[in-house]
Amino acid sequence: MDLMEYKAKELFDKYEIPTQKGIVIEDVSDLASKALNLTFPLVAKAQVQIGGRGKAGGIKFASNTDELLEVSKSILGMDIKGHIVKKLLIVEKAEVSKELYLSIMLDRLSKKPMIIFSSEGGVDIEEVARLTPEKVMKVSIDPLIGIKDYIIRYLISKSGLNNSLYEQMFDIVKKLYTLFCEYDCMLTEINPLVITAENKILALDGKVSIDDNALSRQPDILEFRDSLTEDELVLEARKFNFLYIPCEVDGNIAVMSNGSGMIMSCIDLISKQGMKVGVGFDLGGGATAERIAEAVRIVLSNKNIKALFITIFGGITRCDEVATGIKMAMEKHEEDKLLVVRVEGTNKEKGLEIINSIKGQIISVDNIREGVSVLAARRELK
Amino acid sequence: MSILIDENTRLIVQGITGREGTFHTEQMLAYGTKVVAGVTPGKGGQTVFGVPVFNTVKEAIEATDANASVIFVPAKYTAAGVYEAMDAGLKLILTIAEHVPVHDMMGVYHIAKKKGCRVIGPNSFGVISPGKAKSGFMAHKIFTKGSVGIMSRSATNCYETVFMMSNKGIGQSTCVGNGGDMIPGSTFVDLLPLFEADPETKAIVIIGEIGGSEEELAAEYIKEYVKKPVVALIAGKNAPKGRSMGHAGAIVSADGTGSAESKEKKLRDAGVHIADSTANIVEILEKIL
Repeated sequence: MDLMEYKAKELFDKYEIPTQKGIVIEDVSDLASKALNLTFPLVAKAQVQIGGRGKAGGIKFASNTDELLEVSKSILGMDIKGHIVKKLLIVEKAEVSKELYLSIMLDRLSKKPMIIFSSEGGVDIEEVARLTPEKVMKVSIDPLIGIKDYIIRYLISKSGLNNSLYEQMFDIVKKLYTLFCEYDCMLTEINPLVITAENKILALDGKVSIDDNALSRQPDILEFRDSLTEDELVLEARKFNFLYIPCEVDGNIAVMSNGSGMIMSCIDLISKQGMKVGVGFDLGGGATAERIAEAVRIVLSNKNIKALFITIFGGITRCDEVATGIKMAMEKHEEDKLLVVRVEGTNKEKGLEIINSIKGQIISVDNIREGVSVLAARRELK
Repeated sequence: MSILIDENTRLIVQGITGREGTFHTEQMLAYGTKVVAGVTPGKGGQTVFGVPVFNTVKEAIEATDANASVIFVPAKYTAAGVYEAMDAGLKLILTIAEHVPVHDMMGVYHIAKKKGCRVIGPNSFGVISPGKAKSGFMAHKIFTKGSVGIMSRSATNCYETVFMMSNKGIGQSTCVGNGGDMIPGSTFVDLLPLFEADPETKAIVIIGEIGGSEEELAAEYIKEYVKKPVVALIAGKNAPKGRSMGHAGAIVSADGTGSAESKEKKLRDAGVHIADSTANIVEILEKIL
């Protein structure tokens, strides 16, 4: 779960990581009451869950009240790569003398948190890492030891920063690591982390990404997730504890299965035939007929989907249960869409009998390859 | 032989009185697994299908001389269960639950390495050595005894492969569900030496996925130390790319580590047969065995 900048800033503020004073507005009418205590010049930044907002015009400066109203009007409601701007973060502009980069991420290779630090931060950090990798330092944190002073000494010494920044750096890294651990983060990133004209270190922009598996113990983040306007079908599926995975925007095939591994291998096979998958749908384990019926309904209500490939390897899930669920959905909704069904495992024969009794465009196949061939034979799916 | 579990495994089921724990204890017993004890705090003294239940893992070991544990408790209690089993002295611990927080597993992983414990999972179907024992929830009927060792990050892709293998008369020595999580207790590299040393295993199948670098590390190990034929599938070539907002991911994987292409190339360079589908794994096995 990726957090927007304003939410990351809230967390930074909570952990007393120094940031710029700012406000969040959803409507220009909020400006009058909320912006009173801010000192111009200000920066207005679109809050969207996608990168590249600066280039899209989502970040603007204002040096007085009139300008602030004008830029706020122009950014709120803006469409950035399909994301409508609903929130605007307005902060005081900092006097920057140097931009740094600091992040802590969970490194899959070492299976430890890793600090990434560069004294040349800013929007071009990926370029810096590519062209001059020696300017980007990576330091592993032993989770059983945590952040100790030698880590900070290393960062400062190796990057050539002035030693007078030691106290501030130690403070920020330590707080960022505490946030990283307490909020089950996959990533906490500050870019740029700036040194101001007064030699103060400030977090100007932040990204925080939180482990989805830990949301149940992070109630405030769970609330934030549910407040986001997402694909309605994703939310609808979530109600039933299903995972609805939007894939290619112009995909017209949906793949439903009881495990993400099988979904991935089906998408691979379908893509290889030049077709596009629009939706992956993970039922998880132990689906009942009623739940299968809901799942089929949700997927087929996506207007772009022309065909649904259901492939179930029932160990504990019974094939007759799956078939009954499909039948319930098909009879109730009478969708004229192609269903290709492959069931394997417990009570397969009984399941096939039920599938054969379903009216409409439904084809049962014996294995995944056969299912993909059936789809590939349909010209309208290419 | 086989690896990890067999007829000599004396298994504890942590969470034995829960719905899943009870159901799968019955299944494991029916398969011939020696389930010697169960653990549920507060339920000590009860029995589940004749298996005595204890309040703690330590008591269960003292009474039954158990040497492995499978943990059927919900995700948020999984790490605590592993710590208890490790502290009680067990060296093989299998975790089943989906959705275990990755920070929990980070702690488990590093402490297990320090203590010399082998943890399998989470988000895993467990381990089965066909004809000998199973520990986990896999649909055991599809597995047959034989000479192919399998390690998989995905349960469904593993079932699919095993089902087709068994239909073609190709059996398995041991199948391990490494689990699909970001920090698994054991990775491919941790298990490769066991399969390489197992006289019963004649070929090894790796069912991997995009993301992480376990397959790349496996390739390096295979190149150096594995003489047995290895077949690998990397699922997820066309999976939707995760929205990644930060720069850290791009900085770390700037060399392309984690992509299906990188994994397949490294594995191919190590002499591994690359399959493009589960069905293709079986076709390759038919050729090389």
